[in-house]
Amino acid sequence: MGRTNFLGEFEELILTMVLILDDNAYGNTVVKAIKEHQNREVNLSSVHITLYRLEEKGFLKSYMAGATQKRGGRKKRYFKATNSGVALLREMKTSRTNLWKLTPQLNFGA
Amino acid sequence: MSRVRPPKLFASFFKWYCRSALRETILGDLEEQFEDDLELYGKHKARRRFAWTVIRFFRPGIIKTFNKTQNSKASGMIKNDFKTTLRIIKKEKLYTGINVLGLTSGFSIALLILSYVYFEFSYEDYNPKANRMARITIDYLDGETLIDQDCESYHLLGPMMKEEFPEVEDYVRAYGMDDAVLRINEESFRANRVYAVDKNFFELFNYPLLKGNTQTALTKPLEMVLTESAAMKYFGTTDILEKTAWVSVVGGEMKVVGVIKDSPANTHLKFDLLFSYSTMQNTLDQRNSPWDSNDTYTYALLKQESQMTQFEESLDRLSTRLLEDETIKNERIIAQNIKDIHLHSHKSFEAEPNGSATIVFFLLGVALLVIVIAIVNYINLATAKSFDRAKEVGIRKVIGSSKAQLRSRFYIESVTINLISAGLALTVILLVQDTFKHIGGLPESFNPIYYPIFWIVFVSLILFSTFFAGSFPAFILSSFKPISVLKGKFSHSSKGTIMRKALVVFQFAIAIFLLVQTIASSEQLEYMQEKDLGLNAEQVVVVSAPATENEIKKFESFRNELLSSNSFKAVAFSNTVPGLPTSTMGSTTGVKLVSGDDHNFNFYFYFMNRYFIPTMEFNLLAGENFKKNMAGRPVIVNEAAMKLWGIHDPADAIDKKLHFWNSDKTIIGVIENFHQTGVKTDHIPTIFMYSTGFGSYISVRVTPDNINQKLIELEEKYKSIFQSPFEFFFLDQKFDSHFRSERQFQTIFSILSSFALIITCLGLFGLASYTITKRKKEIGIRKVLGASVNQIITLLSKDFLLLIAMAGIISLPITYLIVRKWLETYAYRIDISPWLFVIPAGFVLAVAFLTIFFRTFHVSHANPVIALKDD
Repeated sequence: MGRTNFLGEFEELILTMVLILDDNAYGNTVVKAIKEHQNREVNLSSVHITLYRLEEKGFLKSYMAGATQKRGGRKKRYFKATNSGVALLREMKTSRTNLWKLTPQLNFGA
Repeated sequence: MSRVRPPKLFASFFKWYCRSALRETILGDLEEQFEDDLELYGKHKARRRFAWTVIRFFRPGIIKTFNKTQNSKASGMIKNDFKTTLRIIKKEKLYTGINVLGLTSGFSIALLILSYVYFEFSYEDYNPKANRMARITIDYLDGETLIDQDCESYHLLGPMMKEEFPEVEDYVRAYGMDDAVLRINEESFRANRVYAVDKNFFELFNYPLLKGNTQTALTKPLEMVLTESAAMKYFGTTDILEKTAWVSVVGGEMKVVGVIKDSPANTHLKFDLLFSYSTMQNTLDQRNSPWDSNDTYTYALLKQESQMTQFEESLDRLSTRLLEDETIKNERIIAQNIKDIHLHSHKSFEAEPNGSATIVFFLLGVALLVIVIAIVNYINLATAKSFDRAKEVGIRKVIGSSKAQLRSRFYIESVTINLISAGLALTVILLVQDTFKHIGGLPESFNPIYYPIFWIVFVSLILFSTFFAGSFPAFILSSFKPISVLKGKFSHSSKGTIMRKALVVFQFAIAIFLLVQTIASSEQLEYMQEKDLGLNAEQVVVVSAPATENEIKKFESFRNELLSSNSFKAVAFSNTVPGLPTSTMGSTTGVKLVSGDDHNFNFYFYFMNRYFIPTMEFNLLAGENFKKNMAGRPVIVNEAAMKLWGIHDPADAIDKKLHFWNSDKTIIGVIENFHQTGVKTDHIPTIFMYSTGFGSYISVRVTPDNINQKLIELEEKYKSIFQSPFEFFFLDQKFDSHFRSERQFQTIFSILSSFALIITCLGLFGLASYTITKRKKEIGIRKVLGASVNQIITLLSKDFLLLIAMAGIISLPITYLIVRKWLETYAYRIDISPWLFVIPAGFVLAVAFLTIFFRTFHVSHANPVIALKDD
């Protein structure tokens, strides 16, 4: 597994959130979603930095749209997972499940 | 109602640093979050969160690249400014050299002096309780007049204070012993800084034990704690818990219960050996009354820093009470914060000679003056050259440069020169700091560059100097009118010239002052070193007396042994010798002249045998020396003592009776005043008591020549009779050591004033060079018209010499006042003669003339054709 194909815990979290949020993933919604699903306070800046990094790695793509008055008429940068992003998440999930199966108590239960 | 907005400051900060590609969306997100927060948490928290998030966004990836994409115009200008600055530095080597040399010396001197000052002010800083600690001292009064201040006090005061005063949290006492001999495995050592201390000494003075138990150490009699280096010296290891040593002052074995770090260099109370206070209890109990002797340092720890006044009032009440029941007489008990001891306390029986706040401030002031002189050089040269730069400024303005841009251009020049100088200064400091520490008497371990304050001062000095040196040229030059400059109508503004002249006068006034002060202090030092001491201190070797009583009994045989050799002329025995601090003498209060008025005075004491006065070559003014087996209780006094009783003729004092220590004594002789601690201090009233068994020093007057051989002989004879270690010093060197601080001051001051003069002359040289270059044509024409070399030299020098004369006129009266004030701090001082001022002023004038002469000579001899040919 090459360096670019590796995701940190936080990166994985953000990528997953973008998937969950589907068409409505941008800075604020990701922060809120993490709060809602994980009960975890994260700073907007950390989310942004990670989003940009994931985009750089090619797991996300972004486009600008949807200015609202609440934001002072400024556009949002929406993020969407790329195919390779989705593939990576899936791969990570599978590999983890496989590893989990190897742990003793599960063997015992099976 | 206006909408609540995110904090503007942070919003614009964000806009400033953020990449333009990301700016819009992030700002949008930020604002959206702010709106949400507003509903959720309210205004304040929302604003706080906004600010915090903005700060969190300040990180790589978000921050724009400043020098590449944005502001390309401004940064390009700065780059260009640096380039031209470097060009000017290369082109104008002389001016750059003068400026850099001046600023480098200024910076290094200022920083070295500041680190010296910092050290002097850092006393007791290692102790977090220091602000709450006060030392109890005693003022001796004669009616309302203060006679003496003693920093030792009574043993009972400590416990009394703790019990009676609510503001006193704790107390600690340190009872100093002159010295103690330790015997470990048949080997003897002499320890000098020995104190018996209460067990909480470590806690109150913040000295954690390296070895041993802090809770139990020094709680029982006959326990001692050693410093690391004392342990290494006496035992050869620090692993010495539970080991024992025989100690002379207690006459028995003592047990080591702890080892602590060496006392720091910046404490007034330095020690090698600490005994438990109870060890000395027997000695103290043997006294008739605990209020007879005040010979222990007492410190009180207050509960709060602010209670000092309350504490002083309590002490005042205590004094009054003790005076009323006649426990003490003519005394007042006062307190001083221990942080004030090193620089402000000059009482009797100080643990070590203290520094002087006056000297510290004096040096600080002078160091700043040196910096100012260097900055003035820069300003002068830069504005003087403004003519050369006027065209450049004109062109820049026409092309469209704003005033601000022009200013920044000159500031950049100043920054560059200052940074170069600062870098050089740092190198200089690193190179000379060991020498400086030696001169300034700072400990080897003190390294100023490890202290943040050094760097703070360093950076502020650079900023200060950059700003002041840069501002004048920046503002004067940027204000030129481009049209007149380019038309060639521009001439020197008279304002600039006057300012320059004023600054030159100012520089030389300072230089003259420093020179006068230097000469005055060196003359004073010489005077003190040569003044008659009232005894002959040369060729006297003082040997520490043996420690045990049995050995002391052998004194006579030792004396005979020495005198049998013709290397030694006289041998005497005494408790102290002249040249040692007054703390080595005894002192007492309550001495009365029988048949005199009822006044009590304080006296210092010598205990000596009958050989002492002839050995020291004191001058006996009346009466006679002690003789063997004299009847009654004979004493000899000095003139200063006699004066206190109002007796003027020494002969009248003979046979008068004194009453103290419960018995009458008869004055049998009066000796001429002598200086106990060198000429710095006044004569002190002293009573000489006869004693054959009580003493710490054996003074030996040796015949001149071949001192080393005689020292060896002396040591051999000493060792053949005594078992205690042989230790000695030369009496004249001891006297000399009292001038240590004077000599330090003198050396530092001379260095400072030489630099001040050199920097000033450098500036003058630059200025003169410049003026002369400008007047080259004028000089050429004058020469063509028939002016002589002398006339031209006079013409060129006149202006400058007038300025220096003016500096002299302004400076000398002020200098006179300062020097007089300074001399008043000495009991014996030189007379102020006019020469003290005339010679330095003349010298400065001569040096200035020579400086200018370098230039004028060259120009006045030049062929006028060369000057007139071009154009």
